Amino acid sequence: MASSQHVLLSPAELAYLHASLSLTPPIRPDGRSPTQFRPLVAETGILPGTNGSARICFADGTEAIVGVKAEVERTAQRPGEETVFLEEGGAGGDGDDEEEEAGQGLDKRKGDASWVEMTVEIPGLRDDDSGTAFLAAMLSEALLADGEFAKRLWINRRFHWKLYLDIILISPPLSYPLPLLSLTTHLALLSTRLPRLKSEGDEDPFFDDDWAAAPYLFPRTTSSSSTPSSTTTKSPTPAATRPPITLLVMAVGNNIIFDPSKEELAVADVALAVSVTGLSPSHETETGGGTAGEKQTGRNLRLLSIRTIDPPSRLTAPGVANAANTAYGASNGTSNGTQKMAEAEAVEGVWRPPRGGAKRMVLGALVQKVLERGGVVDEVLDALEGADSG
Amino acid sequence: MPITILAPRPSRPTRKHPQEDASVTSDTDSEAGGVDLDGDLPMTTTRPSKRARLNTTTTQSTAAFEIVTPGEIITDDPQWMRGHGTYVTPSTTAITSSVAGTMTRTNKLLSVRPLRARYTPEVGDLVVGRIVEVQAKRWRVDVGSTQLASLPLSAINLPGGILRKRTETDELQIRTFFAEGDLLVAEVQQLFADGGAVLHTRSLKYGKLRNGVFVAVSGTGGGGGVVRSRRQVWTMEAANGGGLVDVVLGVNGYVWISKHVETPEAGADSSSSSKAAAGITNMEESVSTTMYSSQNDRIEVEAMREIARLRGVVTALVENGLRVDEDMVVRGYHEAVEMAMVSAEGPDDIYLGGERGQQLAAALRGA
Repeated sequence: MASSQHVLLSPAELAYLHASLSLTPPIRPDGRSPTQFRPLVAETGILPGTNGSARICFADGTEAIVGVKAEVERTAQRPGEETVFLEEGGAGGDGDDEEEEAGQGLDKRKGDASWVEMTVEIPGLRDDDSGTAFLAAMLSEALLADGEFAKRLWINRRFHWKLYLDIILISPPLSYPLPLLSLTTHLALLSTRLPRLKSEGDEDPFFDDDWAAAPYLFPRTTSSSSTPSSTTTKSPTPAATRPPITLLVMAVGNNIIFDPSKEELAVADVALAVSVTGLSPSHETETGGGTAGEKQTGRNLRLLSIRTIDPPSRLTAPGVANAANTAYGASNGTSNGTQKMAEAEAVEGVWRPPRGGAKRMVLGALVQKVLERGGVVDEVLDALEGADSG
Repeated sequence: MPITILAPRPSRPTRKHPQEDASVTSDTDSEAGGVDLDGDLPMTTTRPSKRARLNTTTTQSTAAFEIVTPGEIITDDPQWMRGHGTYVTPSTTAITSSVAGTMTRTNKLLSVRPLRARYTPEVGDLVVGRIVEVQAKRWRVDVGSTQLASLPLSAINLPGGILRKRTETDELQIRTFFAEGDLLVAEVQQLFADGGAVLHTRSLKYGKLRNGVFVAVSGTGGGGGVVRSRRQVWTMEAANGGGLVDVVLGVNGYVWISKHVETPEAGADSSSSSKAAAGITNMEESVSTTMYSSQNDRIEVEAMREIARLRGVVTALVENGLRVDEDMVVRGYHEAVEMAMVSAEGPDDIYLGGERGQQLAAALRGA
């Protein structure tokens, strides 16, 4: 998928950027280390009319706002064994329900992808623009991939919450906005609260008026979530499941670079959008049987989705080497054959757009780096948690 | 820590209560220029001037933080004249702001300085531009203005010397000189009535840019940004063995930082003076061979690091609302080198974002 609007950079700039990013360690134009994110300003709960909201802005002025609104919606009933008839849903059926609950626990909750509606708005782009639609698809895909998120919206067998996520980029997209939008959505979901349910069973839902009593959509752990430093020191992180985040990772040469800026993305060999989520401890015991012996330095990360982003570098024009440059003094009558030769062989300091697909080794290394335990994602999740509670 | 998340902070002191403002403005005398910022209190002219003068400073200091928005009525007193950034609606005397910015007044003239504005070209400005369009006999160049500037084929130095005649071949090969995306440094030669600029590169100082990085600090106003100054282009010695580095501060807010490259001819000139005398007349001829190259020279790691550091200094200056000129950049660079020396990562640490940038700006403000 095309990453963003065409980036206009001169071949000399591209060659310079590529050379500096291929060094070990890479020199990024803004001086960050390869795993470092741009510093950002974040706050939550900025929109009083929403269930949860967040704002993140980068130092360059790129700013995004996300608002989450929840609405009670009647679940479409399909004829089948689980169909609930109104007569059954009343007080008469309560006794049976309790028995069922005791037997099945949470298993009876289920979710549906249509319960989450996400709109992305980027100034200067139509909302049916392929880039915008793709961003929205990628962000909602991350949310819905494992089906766990939609289950949280279950109220009872007849009703569910319908969640509207409105993602607005306020500034023009100075860089590929995916990481910014994803981080903002993550923060907004962290701060989202739904009114406390007072009714029981399959009755029409009835909620507590007291907003202070409203539970968070993603329940917070008691003390450790408020101080992100303490979560890292405790070996088994008690943090519950967090909303997913989608990170933009790119590779230049042998270097793996997180959160690339627009110029950096313009020389990328490969760019990936990787969605991950931190797992709850219960999941950990279920799945991580083999890893239980290892020292647990971070949360268990679960890969939700990977999308390759077509880096704009493939669309750039190649540089012309001095030897083939007619303005430089090469003879005007150079035949097409020699020109092609000059283009084919790499000359130092001349930009050559990457050709061919991504190498499997590189893709593997990228995903590995993202999923590293106690690595970048862990610290990002911790920092976001701190930003929400602080 | 790969990510730093800061809490939001108010960028300006919070707006004062309208009543407080009104009391201050009503104290000022009309000669000193009291402005009713709320537009609902009439100007008074009966105050003693002594008291007014004392109050003027306070009004101005509060007004300096007072931001007016487009459509906001500044005053409806007919004694004021409207300046830049304001307009008067027909059939009224109310002066209304047309931009978002801070209000300034000079005697009886009210004007609003925009917080962000596009570059307004002036003849003689040194600008850095990027080719966005190639036409039959000219290029269209993005210089951060409201319109694209144009660079005619006749306004560039063609390879082969000053006496070289422009031919149809050159028109056909126009992309060999500048293609879309290429960066160049040029001078504004002429202005059209609509504000569009015509550029030229007919000097050895101007031409295509390579061997470096570009950073746009567009949007003048608000204290930051590139300001017109005596020297927009200079070469400086970089620390840590970075060699010589060229910095081009375009008046339009486009900045180019690159490794300084001695052309082989210029090197020969300095070694033998007799050759230099001969070289003066045909210098363009010899130098212009590298003029349209898009191949970078070999750049050492140290040079790249120092170039990135300089770029960080420029962005840190802009983010913290400091002006960008030779003095500030050079001082900021030395400060940044010092900061890196004492930092945990050592002199190779070139990161100047976030808190580091604020630290740098604070050091520069204090000095």
